[in-house]
Amino acid sequence: MRTVFIVARKELVDLFRDRRTVALSLLLMPILFPALILGAVGLAESKARTQLEKTLRLPVIGAEHAPNLIRFLRAQNIEAEPAPEDPDAEVRAQTFDAVLRISPDFADNWRSSRSAQVELIYDSSREDSRIPVARVRGAIEQYNRTLAVLRTMHRGMSPEVLQPVRIAQRDVATPESKRGMLLAFLPYLLILSSFLGGAYLVIDVTAGERERQSLEPLLATPASRSAIMSGKILAAIIFGMLSLSLILVGFKVSLAVAPGSLRIVNPSWQLLFQLLLVLLPMVLIGTTLLTLISASVKSVKEAQSYMTVLMLLPMVPTFLLMVNPIKNQLWQFTVPFLAQNQLILRLVRGETVSFEEWAVYIVTSLVLGLILWIAAARLYHQERLAISA
Amino acid sequence: MIEVDNLHKTFQSKSGPVHAVRGVSFRAPDGQITGLLGPNGAGKTTTLRMLYTLMTPDKGSVRVDGLDAHRDATAARQRLGVLPDARSIYKRLTARENIEYFGRLHGLDKATIARRIETLAQTLGIDFLDRRAEGFSQGERTKTAIARALVHDPRNVILDEPTNGLDVMTTRSLREFLQRLRAEGRCVIFSSHIMQEVAALCDRIVVIAGGQVRAIGTPDELRATTGESDLENVFVRLTRSESES
Ligand SMILES: Nc1ncnc2c1ncn2[C@@H]1O[C@H](COP(=O)(O)OP(=O)(O)O)[C@@H](O)[C@H]1O
Ligand SMILES: [Mg+2]
Repeated sequence: MRTVFIVARKELVDLFRDRRTVALSLLLMPILFPALILGAVGLAESKARTQLEKTLRLPVIGAEHAPNLIRFLRAQNIEAEPAPEDPDAEVRAQTFDAVLRISPDFADNWRSSRSAQVELIYDSSREDSRIPVARVRGAIEQYNRTLAVLRTMHRGMSPEVLQPVRIAQRDVATPESKRGMLLAFLPYLLILSSFLGGAYLVIDVTAGERERQSLEPLLATPASRSAIMSGKILAAIIFGMLSLSLILVGFKVSLAVAPGSLRIVNPSWQLLFQLLLVLLPMVLIGTTLLTLISASVKSVKEAQSYMTVLMLLPMVPTFLLMVNPIKNQLWQFTVPFLAQNQLILRLVRGETVSFEEWAVYIVTSLVLGLILWIAAARLYHQERLAISA
Repeated sequence: MIEVDNLHKTFQSKSGPVHAVRGVSFRAPDGQITGLLGPNGAGKTTTLRMLYTLMTPDKGSVRVDGLDAHRDATAARQRLGVLPDARSIYKRLTARENIEYFGRLHGLDKATIARRIETLAQTLGIDFLDRRAEGFSQGERTKTAIARALVHDPRNVILDEPTNGLDVMTTRSLREFLQRLRAEGRCVIFSSHIMQEVAALCDRIVVIAGGQVRAIGTPDELRATTGESDLENVFVRLTRSESES
């Protein structure tokens, strides 16, 4: 047991002397991840805001038939402009977000107090035209109501009977949608950084040390090989947890200073601690798996070639869930990556995780970590490990 | 004292099995320097690796101070100081930290380690104890690796080609150091492919070639058996394969 701590301490001292690597792997993620998420959310928000506030240019066919409507639209910051030849094709080609067609009998119908028809041409499959279309529709509906009120008053009725319903345009960017966006990224990023956060260190202390040929004198000491390996694993876990804690704190801080509505999703310290608890077994599994790989390959390069595959692993449950969403079932807490994915989602959504679910999760992932540890220890005891030929 | 009896080791390689060591036996008593002499690829490193328990022999046995090196591997390792073929040290640690790390792994306490480092630094001429190992010269690396191997004051010392890559002055001081170890009554085994070096230093020479022991004796005994007076000719005669002689 003493050996474990001696080795872990040496590996951490050795690692932290390598300032640049440590700074990169320890600080880059906590800065980059929140920046990525906040950037994506912030970009969407600022786009929504400009789409809401900027003067909207709307091609109108037959503008001359409804000068009052056009004037009303201008007051709503919607500027009519001459329409193209083939509006359907132009909208489909994304030249315009929407085109308004006013039928030639609009004026007649209007004068005789019948329903006058306008047609809004848009492409509902286009995400970024959602807001402009909603603005035009909202403006027309408002015009509609104003007219209705005038007409009812004209006939001596109370406008109250119409009970106009107002559409709130600002709903387009609710806190829920931002939270949803955050949720789309967060589990994968957290699982990935716990799974592979210590990868550099793990590969370096086994495959790297073997390549530099300093493993041979180390294994010639009376220290047991399992203890030496465990020390290296312990060092990687400590480093991984440190890096994860920084990432979580990075999220908290950046959400706290984030502009506007994002501040609503500020995670509590308790939530961060629970996330850390979910991710600790993931750090253990990642570290032991990488140790196993590093002990079985011939060089650092070969070990690194596994990284691409490993980076894809945490995505598997996300894909599976997209294709085949599963209801809450206990077995899913036994499947690595899926379990963490579900737990993180539930914790961030503020849903409770029962004691039973915690227990199933912690026990199965510790067992998996133990199996990987035993497998890696077996490799460490092979005589070819010490010799780099 | 180290006793080696009928060691065999075969490696599996792509082009078939390599029988690297085939029946090596010798005795290295305390208070003597035993030289393992042989050309490149003779099986010296493989033999020594079996001595310091890094490899398990296919056949045969190794006894360190009477302990079976493979049944009592941990106890045997405690009695061995090893300078392997590759003497890489941790670049980001200082020489002192490199030596300390091994002292701790041997279970020594802080005070003992500090005392041993002082002694070893003095006898080996290490005046760069607190410098980071990054950029050490070959000689500085070797000295650090030797100090690291001897930090637990072992009775038996095994060095694989210790003079490789060293300049004349460093080689000379290393030679003096090995003589001092002998004077302290330790069992010293070192390997080399240079006859002159072995002859100048060793009490007994074990000549191996092709994984087999070709001759054992003092330098003079080897001269007498081959009938050659020139050391280089002695070496050539002894290591030439049987078919040629
Ligand atoms: N790990 C290994 N795998 C395969 N062959 C090896 C290995 N180690 C040594 N050999 C082979 O065994 C023979 C003896 O090598 P070695 O003991 O290193 O010789 P020496 O140290 O005397 O130069 C050589 O032919 C070498 O290629
Ligand atoms: Mg060799």
